[in-house]
Amino acid sequence: MRIKNPKDFWAGLMFIGTGVFFAVFAYANYQMGTAVRMGPAYFPFLLGGLLAFLGLLVFIEGFALEGTGEKLYLPFNIVDLFIAVAIFAVLLELAPRVGLSPDWGMLAASLIVSVLTVLYRPNAKALVLISVACLVYGYSMKPLGLVGATAALVFISAYGGHEFKWKEVGILFVILILFSYFVFVKGLTLPFPMWPAVWS
Amino acid sequence: MELFNNLILGFGVAITPINLLYAFIGVLLGTLIGVLPGVGPVATIAMLLPITFNLNPVSALIMLAGIYYGAQYGGSTTAILVNIPGESSSVVTCLDGYQMARQGRAGPALAIAAIGSFFAGCVATLLIAVAAPPLAEIALKFGPSEYFSLMVFGLIAATVLARGSLIKAIAMVVFGLLLGIIGTDVNSGVLRFTFGIPELSDGIGFVVVAMGMFGTAEIIANLDLKDKREVFLSKVTHLYPTKEDLKRSWASILRGTALGSCLGILPGGGALLASFGAYTLEKKVSSHPEQFGKGAIEGVAGPESANNAGAQTSFIPMLTLGIPGNAVMALMIGALMIQGIAPGPQVMNEKPQLFWGLIASMWVGNLMLVVLNLPMIGMWVKLLTVPYRYLYPSILVFMAIGVFSLSNNPFDVLIMAVFGVLGYICVKLECEPAPMILGFILGPLMEENLRRAMLLSRGDPFVFFQKPISLGFMVASAILLVIVALPTIRKKREEAFVEESK
Repeated sequence: MRIKNPKDFWAGLMFIGTGVFFAVFAYANYQMGTAVRMGPAYFPFLLGGLLAFLGLLVFIEGFALEGTGEKLYLPFNIVDLFIAVAIFAVLLELAPRVGLSPDWGMLAASLIVSVLTVLYRPNAKALVLISVACLVYGYSMKPLGLVGATAALVFISAYGGHEFKWKEVGILFVILILFSYFVFVKGLTLPFPMWPAVWS
Repeated sequence: MELFNNLILGFGVAITPINLLYAFIGVLLGTLIGVLPGVGPVATIAMLLPITFNLNPVSALIMLAGIYYGAQYGGSTTAILVNIPGESSSVVTCLDGYQMARQGRAGPALAIAAIGSFFAGCVATLLIAVAAPPLAEIALKFGPSEYFSLMVFGLIAATVLARGSLIKAIAMVVFGLLLGIIGTDVNSGVLRFTFGIPELSDGIGFVVVAMGMFGTAEIIANLDLKDKREVFLSKVTHLYPTKEDLKRSWASILRGTALGSCLGILPGGGALLASFGAYTLEKKVSSHPEQFGKGAIEGVAGPESANNAGAQTSFIPMLTLGIPGNAVMALMIGALMIQGIAPGPQVMNEKPQLFWGLIASMWVGNLMLVVLNLPMIGMWVKLLTVPYRYLYPSILVFMAIGVFSLSNNPFDVLIMAVFGVLGYICVKLECEPAPMILGFILGPLMEENLRRAMLLSRGDPFVFFQKPISLGFMVASAILLVIVALPTIRKKREEAFVEESK
C-alpha cells in the first residue's frame, strides 16, 4: 500500500489517536450513566468514538485519493516532536527535585529546544522560536518583570524571522516596552512587575 | 413604530461620546488590520478580548463589531492598490480592482468599494433591526431539543462552507467539541480530562485557544513564506467615479447587498462567502462578462457590497439565538460571556440598550468608515510599506500580554503556544481551524442541551425528529450534507475555493 496523500494519512492518525484517547480515558475514569441520565463519560465517549471513526475515513482516504494542492511539507518529523515534548517533561519533573520552581524547568527546556532547533532544524526556526518566545514571556514575567519578559519575547521572536538586525530589534523593543507600560500598566492598571524581582 | 422607538433608543446609546469613541477605535483598528495583509479580524478581536473586561458591555461590543466590518473596508484598499487581499474576503476584489488601478482608475475603484460598502452597511443594519426581534421571539420558545438540533445544523453548515475536505471539517468540529468538554462537568462536578492540573478545572479559555489557533499559528505560517510583499504605489488622483461608473454599478451594489445579507445570516456564512457569491453572480448577469478580470467596475461593486452586508448580517444568529455563525461571532459570544451576559434570545429584552445600541453603532461606524477610508487613503497606503518583521513581534507582545493578563498565570500563555503549534500542524494537514473553534464554543452548550433533551424524553433519541422545529433543523442538516456530497456540487465547491487560494 502506498500513501497517496500524506496530509490525509497524518490527519487521520491524529484524529484516530485523539478520539480513541478521549473515549478510552472517559470510559475508564468517569461514570457512563444511561441515555436518560448521562454520566460525565457519556458525551465524551460518544464524541471520541465519532472522531476516531471520522479519522479512520480520512486515514483510508489517504491511501485512496491523490491529494490536491501543495505537497505536505513540515519542517520537523514526528520523532522531533516527541523529543521536544520529552525535554519539557523531563525538565519540569527535574526542576522541583533540585529545589527550583517548575517555571525554571520550563524556561530551561525552552532554551534547550530552541538551541537544538536552530542547530539541527533551521527550517523549523519560525515555528519553535515564535512558540518559545510566548512561553518565555509568560514564565519570565515573575522573575524578570515586564521589561525582561518583553525583551525576551521581542528578541527571540525577531530571531525566528528572516532578517535579524540588533539595532532594529532594539528600537522595536524600546517602542513596545514604552507602549506596554503606558497602555497596559498605566492605562489599564494591570498589575505587572516592571523590573526583575531581585532588584527590588 | 416599535422599530422606530427601538432605533431611537439605540442611537441614543450609540452617540454618547464614550460609545462614539469606542466605535471610532473599533473601525480605525478594523481598517488598519484590514489594510495590513496577514493580520485578520479574528486574531485582533481575540487579542482585545481580555481588555474589554474593563469596559462596559455596550462599548466593548461596539468596538469589537467595528473591527469586523471595518476590516472589510480596509481589505479592499489593499486588494485594489497592491493586488493582495488585505482580508480574506476581499480576494475577489483583487481580480477587477487591481486591474482598474493599473488602468489609472484606482480612485473610482476605491470610491465605488466604499460607497457600495456603505450602502450595504446601511441596509444590513436596518435588516438586523427588522429581522432580529421576530427571530428572537421564536427562539424564546426553543426547548433543549430545538437548541441541540439548531447547533447540529449550525455546525454542519459551518463545515459545508469550510474549504477542503468535508470529513476533515466535521472531524475538526468534533475535535473542538471534545476540547470544550475539558474542565468541571456542571452536572456531576467531576473534573474531566484535567490530568490533575488545577488551571484546567475551569476548562481551557476560549480566548487562549483562538489566539493560538489564529494568532500565533498565522504568524508562523506567514514567516514560513518569504516576505514577498511588493507595493505598487499608484497615485490615487481623481477619487470620484464618473456618471458611467455609477450607472454601471448601482445594480451590482443592490444585488451584492441582497446576496450578502442572505449569505451572512446562514450559519457558517459571513463576509468571505458573500463576496465570492456576489462575484459569480455579477459575472453571470452581466451583459459583457468578457470584461471581468480586466477591470470591470461591477466586479468591485458587487463583492465589496456583499462582504460588508455579510459581515453585518452574520450578527443576526449571534444576537437572536446566541449561536455563532463564524469564528468572529464566536469571539463576540466570548466577549458577552466575559461581561457576564449569557448570549441568547433574552439579551434583546433584558438588555435593549446593548442590543439596539450595537445595531445603531453599526450605522454610525459605517459613516465613520467612509470618512476614514476615502479622504485618508494616502495614510493607509503608507502603512503598507511597514515590513512584516516589525509587525509580528508587536502583535506577539499584545497577544502575550493579553493572554497573561487573563489570570496573571503563565499557564495560559503555555496553552496559547501549544495551540499555536497545533494550529500550524492543522493548517499544514489541510484541516481548517475555524470549525474547531465553533465546536469548542458550542461543546458545553450542546452537551447540556443533549442531556436535558434526553432527560425530558426519557432517553428516546427520536425526540429530535418529533418536534417540528427540531425536525426542520435536522432535515436541513441532512439536506446540506447530501448536497455537498453530490459529485457536481462537490466539484463546484472545490473550484470556488481553488480560485480563492490563488
